Amino acid sequence: MADTIDAYSIQNWLESCPQSYLMDTEYGHGPEEKEPDFILDNEVVLEETIKATVQLVVGERCALSASSGLINAAPDEASRRFLATQTLDEARHVEVFTHRLYDLGVKKQDLEGTIQRYANPNLVKFAEILLEKVDRKDFVSGVVGQNIVLEGMAFSVFEMMHAMNEPVNAKFAHTLSGTIADERRHVGFGENRIGSLIQQHPEKRPEVEQMQKEMSYFMLATFADAFRNNQTANELEAAGIERPHSEYQGVDLGTMEPEEMEQVLADTVLKEFKTRLGRIGIEYQTPARP
Amino acid sequence: MGTAPVREVHDLEHERFLEEVHSFEFWFHSVEGYLSGTTYGHREETVDDSPSGAVDRQHLITVLSNYCIGEMAALEGASGLIAIAPNQLTKIFLSTQVADEGRHLEVLLHRMRDLGVKYPAQEADRRASRGLKQFRHELLRLVQGRDWEAAIFAQNVILESLEFAVFRAHAEGADPVTKEILDGIIKDERRHIGFGENELGRRLHAAPHVRTRLARVREELDHLILDMLEDSSREIGVEPDRKAELARAYLQSVERLGFT
Ligand SMILES: [Fe+2]
Ligand SMILES: [Fe+2]
Ligand SMILES: [Fe+2]
Ligand SMILES: [Fe+2]
Repeated sequence: MADTIDAYSIQNWLESCPQSYLMDTEYGHGPEEKEPDFILDNEVVLEETIKATVQLVVGERCALSASSGLINAAPDEASRRFLATQTLDEARHVEVFTHRLYDLGVKKQDLEGTIQRYANPNLVKFAEILLEKVDRKDFVSGVVGQNIVLEGMAFSVFEMMHAMNEPVNAKFAHTLSGTIADERRHVGFGENRIGSLIQQHPEKRPEVEQMQKEMSYFMLATFADAFRNNQTANELEAAGIERPHSEYQGVDLGTMEPEEMEQVLADTVLKEFKTRLGRIGIEYQTPARP
Repeated sequence: MGTAPVREVHDLEHERFLEEVHSFEFWFHSVEGYLSGTTYGHREETVDDSPSGAVDRQHLITVLSNYCIGEMAALEGASGLIAIAPNQLTKIFLSTQVADEGRHLEVLLHRMRDLGVKYPAQEADRRASRGLKQFRHELLRLVQGRDWEAAIFAQNVILESLEFAVFRAHAEGADPVTKEILDGIIKDERRHIGFGENELGRRLHAAPHVRTRLARVREELDHLILDMLEDSSREIGVEPDRKAELARAYLQSVERLGFT
């Protein structure tokens, strides 16, 4: 257990994020960095960006509820303390994405209304499946749902967004790189801690597999909504702004149709699920395609 | 549009103030000042002058055991409270508190390990006072009962004030490593107490009937707290006249909210 204590200790966390990549940032980015004009000056692009950021807040709120809710269900001290650092990470993510909404012009008093208006119902369903497990203090399902399914999804989405933003929006790319670093730790904990627990509780497998299948379905439905109804690409084209030729998973995002991008993201996440679940002894279940 | 009524302006300023002090950013800049350069709550170069005599050493281990159980209660309480917190801002503040309490627990367990305890969590549970364990149980009951005001009162006012008073008294006469660890914890606890007072102060102002309910919670918990103070004072070697001072320091926090 000694190794786990060190790797997942709060001491390790203090050294690896506040004293490292968060130094000299404000709400996750450099104090001078700003959202670019092509977003702020175009109503359609601005609304799409707000909509996309709302999904991030919704996802992070779910992660915050899940990680804090799992602390009292954790069977050992080291897991509790790791989850304490994760709780703070997730709270930070909620905060930085909320601040992005403010930077995009959402008024503080309109925050909840904006979130309600734009939150994708499929993402809300996805979150509900996980939070139901957390409410029941089901640690094994909760950690798989959170640290493998939710985090795995977040990780890939952030990476794709990072690739798209890096050439054109240094501020948001900076925010994303910090969250990606956090999520990487969270995913690592899920794999390391839960493998042995699954071995101890093989009877949990069918329930966990069913949860993964359901969550995956609602994740794909969220992706479908996000890409298929997105006006950003058309709008940028109409305005004569060339999309950056960002590379993600070996493809050029600057030349792809939204449906193709959706496909690449979905395939990447599902492949990741399969690998990670395999490592902890859970059989990946193919979800229905929305 | 005319000028906004004075109260509204005041509320807005207050909102802005809360927005700042309850944020991750605020927490981050606060702890940066006193945690950077420390490992498990103290600087590496601090000389470990812990008690060498077997009796004193055992004494310190017992005291730390009680602190650990107090911090476990705070970790469980703060994390459970996130689920019932009324808004995003309070959820974020409580998340910083969760990390603080987790850190407190970690540095104290680590200190016990330094003192030769092989399984500090188990040892803490074995040695901690019954009153403290009962308090932990009561606190969780309030959190699980989703009673926001009562749980915040029990945790961020009563428990935190007790810890604050005891840690401060102990730090005065402690060995250098233990003192540094406690000084860092005290700085965090001050933020937690501030949150509790702020959150409840406003609610008590807006809904005076809450006071009656909280007075009842206090009645139920007070004897546990005063017993714990008595025990802790004895263990950390507080002189009898300072004992009254400790009790007063605890009572003052509660009185600041108008409970006499
Ligand atoms: Fe997150
Ligand atoms: Fe995460
Ligand atoms: Fe504490
Ligand atoms: Fe505290």
